Amino acid sequence: MRIFGLNRRIIRVLLGSQYAHMLEYRAEIALWALSGVLPFIMLSVWSGSDARSGLGLDGVALDRYFLSAFLVRQFSVVWVVYAFEEDALLGRLSPYLLQPLHPLWRYVAAHLGEQLTRLPFAALIAAVFFAVQPQAFWLPSFGGFLLAWLATWMAFAIAFLFQSLIAALCFWSEKASALERLQFIPFLFLSGLLAPLTAFPPAVRAWAQWTPFPYLIDFPARVLAGQPVDLVAGFGAQLAWIALLLPLVLLLWRAGVRRYSAMGA
Amino acid sequence: MIQVEGLSKIYRVAEKQPGLAGTLRHFIRRRTRDVSAVQDVSFRIEPGEMVGFLGANGAGKTTTLKMLCGLIHPSAGEVQVAGFSPQRRQAEFLRRITLVMGQKQQLLWDLPPMDSLRVNAAVYGIPDAVARRRISELADLLELGEELTRPVRKLSLGQRMKAELLAALLHEPEVLFLDEPTLGLDVNAQARVRQFLADYNRRTGATVLLTSHYMADITALCPRVLLIHQGHLFHDGPLEALADQLAPEREVRLELESPVEADALAGLGRLEQLEGCDVRLLVPRDQLTAVVAQLLDRFPVRDLDVTDPPIEELIGGLFRQGRV
Amino acid sequence: MGRYWRTLRRFWGTAVAVQLEYQANVLIELLAVAMSLSGSLFLLSLFYGPDQTLGGWSWAQALMVQGLYTVFDGMATTWLRPNLGAIVTHVREGTLDFVLLKPIDSQFWLSLRTLSPAGLPEIGLGLGLLAWGSHQAGVVLSLSSLFTVLVMLLAGGLILYSLWFLIAATSIWFVKTWNATEVLRALLASGRYPLNAYPPALRLLFTLVLPVAFLTTVPAQVLLGEAAVPVLLAGLALAVLFFAAARAFWLFALRFYTSASS
Repeated sequence: MRIFGLNRRIIRVLLGSQYAHMLEYRAEIALWALSGVLPFIMLSVWSGSDARSGLGLDGVALDRYFLSAFLVRQFSVVWVVYAFEEDALLGRLSPYLLQPLHPLWRYVAAHLGEQLTRLPFAALIAAVFFAVQPQAFWLPSFGGFLLAWLATWMAFAIAFLFQSLIAALCFWSEKASALERLQFIPFLFLSGLLAPLTAFPPAVRAWAQWTPFPYLIDFPARVLAGQPVDLVAGFGAQLAWIALLLPLVLLLWRAGVRRYSAMGA
Repeated sequence: MIQVEGLSKIYRVAEKQPGLAGTLRHFIRRRTRDVSAVQDVSFRIEPGEMVGFLGANGAGKTTTLKMLCGLIHPSAGEVQVAGFSPQRRQAEFLRRITLVMGQKQQLLWDLPPMDSLRVNAAVYGIPDAVARRRISELADLLELGEELTRPVRKLSLGQRMKAELLAALLHEPEVLFLDEPTLGLDVNAQARVRQFLADYNRRTGATVLLTSHYMADITALCPRVLLIHQGHLFHDGPLEALADQLAPEREVRLELESPVEADALAGLGRLEQLEGCDVRLLVPRDQLTAVVAQLLDRFPVRDLDVTDPPIEELIGGLFRQGRV
Repeated sequence: MGRYWRTLRRFWGTAVAVQLEYQANVLIELLAVAMSLSGSLFLLSLFYGPDQTLGGWSWAQALMVQGLYTVFDGMATTWLRPNLGAIVTHVREGTLDFVLLKPIDSQFWLSLRTLSPAGLPEIGLGLGLLAWGSHQAGVVLSLSSLFTVLVMLLAGGLILYSLWFLIAATSIWFVKTWNATEVLRALLASGRYPLNAYPPALRLLFTLVLPVAFLTTVPAQVLLGEAAVPVLLAGLALAVLFFAAARAFWLFALRFYTSASS
């Protein structure tokens, strides 16, 4: 049985080769992990600020939130639009499109390979954090960890689908990656990477929860940090977004491929 | 113009095993080995000469060329180019030389060559009026016209190379270093570039050093050849002399009326091929006339042909044998 | 006839598309910068409930710091990213040789070769924010304070350039760590907030090791009339030090390049 051309054997081979490929870039990936320090900077500003009482998180809870936000970000960062744009430019797309494997699976495998390569570095950074703030150390319960893992996976899926949507637009315009640049900004501010959602005024918070952004960082981070969070609402929203984006991506992609082959590009 | 004495370049290369274990081991204790890229090369080039560096890939010709430019510091030996020590990369020295590398360009990709030329004019301190004159002269010689105002990415490889040459020669250098300039060009473009270089050398008396692994470049342009093999200078002189040195033999092809046995041809040279009535012999040059006379005398010869083995084969054979 | 008309439409269609692409870029940049700035101001506002300060800095004063940060970020976008980001490409493609053979200083060439005008609106917006914040904070500009601010901005620029250049120059050794400047950029985001918003340990880091303080906090202090002379002198000294270090490192890198590359 093949799902868009994928079966067990292909999964194994694809993941294996992508992991090996990413290992070659581990220095670069380590640096990408290191460049994700923004949550830690925000943590140091929040912990010293007058306004932190309004967060509903203090001291240790705040530390855990931001560390979790960092970790969730590390394993949900998506770069498919850039890889796709480059492949389209260099003509690598044509051979991919001729194979009975949906090209998006390749990019998924690349991302998973990169995440696996990133794991030791993210763990190292977390270890350094605990060395500096030993009182914040915690290990989530097994169930809690599984839930957090699931939430992060779903966050990754949403982000991947969203960016794939933009990537599919590359079939029409070369400058589609600029949209990614624009989309990144509300993500940065509304996802919870820079401030937990409780920091927002109620009106903004209510409005933000209609966007996918809080479910990309804030929700999974709270699950990981073991903080009280509405699991049903959170997972429900994540599922809803995936259910919305998946068919859109597939449709847009198919239309895009039709256009690509029509243009003989 | 160019004086090279005992030039050598040795690289220290780290030996690392692949994989994680290898990385760790390498981190703890480095193992290195010395690779000799160029060994004890000496030569002299007079102003106005056109000299070719010939050699297989990795022989050391590009390394030598870069040492002459000052881009690589020699491990040992002395270099003097136009009275300067290239290593020091003094501005006065840099104004006198130019480097052109095949398949690598200094021209900006998204802009027309004209823009890069304007930048070069400023960098080399060439007044705009003078630059304009030189550009139009060189453009005529290179057969470039509206290409100069089209973005470089829209030019064909041949046009790009010509524009590169223009940019490289804008400041009227005395010494031209060309590293595989015809690499990747089609036959016509190669011929044009060669023609231009020969003309340029004649007109301006610039000294030209050319590396290539295309024999056609060398035979067309360079009366003098430096053959570099495995870092050593094997031959320094005219190309024909190289042929003599490499192959003191000439090839004799016979077509006989009736087949002969191999032993019948013993003592008449090296038998290369014997197929029925067709014979190919390699005969030392000094014995050629005597052997030909004997062949005509002893055998029923329908046709006889004497040629040089092709140069590519000679040099290729040399490399294959690893002879230095 | 129909064929010509169609061809003409193609000609003009592509010409307009090319124009649009270029203009679209600038528009998108402008939009992105405006959105980013609004977002940052929104984030800053979260720290300011009634009667709250950030490290002792009032809202208007914090705006000045944000404005200064935006100016420097714009400078990075305009000059540092396009130029210094190209160094690794030169090394990778072997075109660094061409730069080294020009009778002009290679660091000069590599640092100032090009610029990206897309970053200019950001600089403009940053200056605007700085002006607005200063006005709200009741800053009175005197000639001497203006002069000092300009000097500190220059010093800050030198520090930023030198840090970025130092990291970019390592691509002569390690082509695979080209994104190390991204780590720098991430750490520089700490300059958005006044130095006193950070715990004492980080304050030291951001003053001496990664002198973001001299990029944003100190110039703001100069305008507010709160800067002490020793601090200003320290800033100047650091600027000179970092610039000299960048220069020395580049010469060292070139020595390595010319002796170890092939």
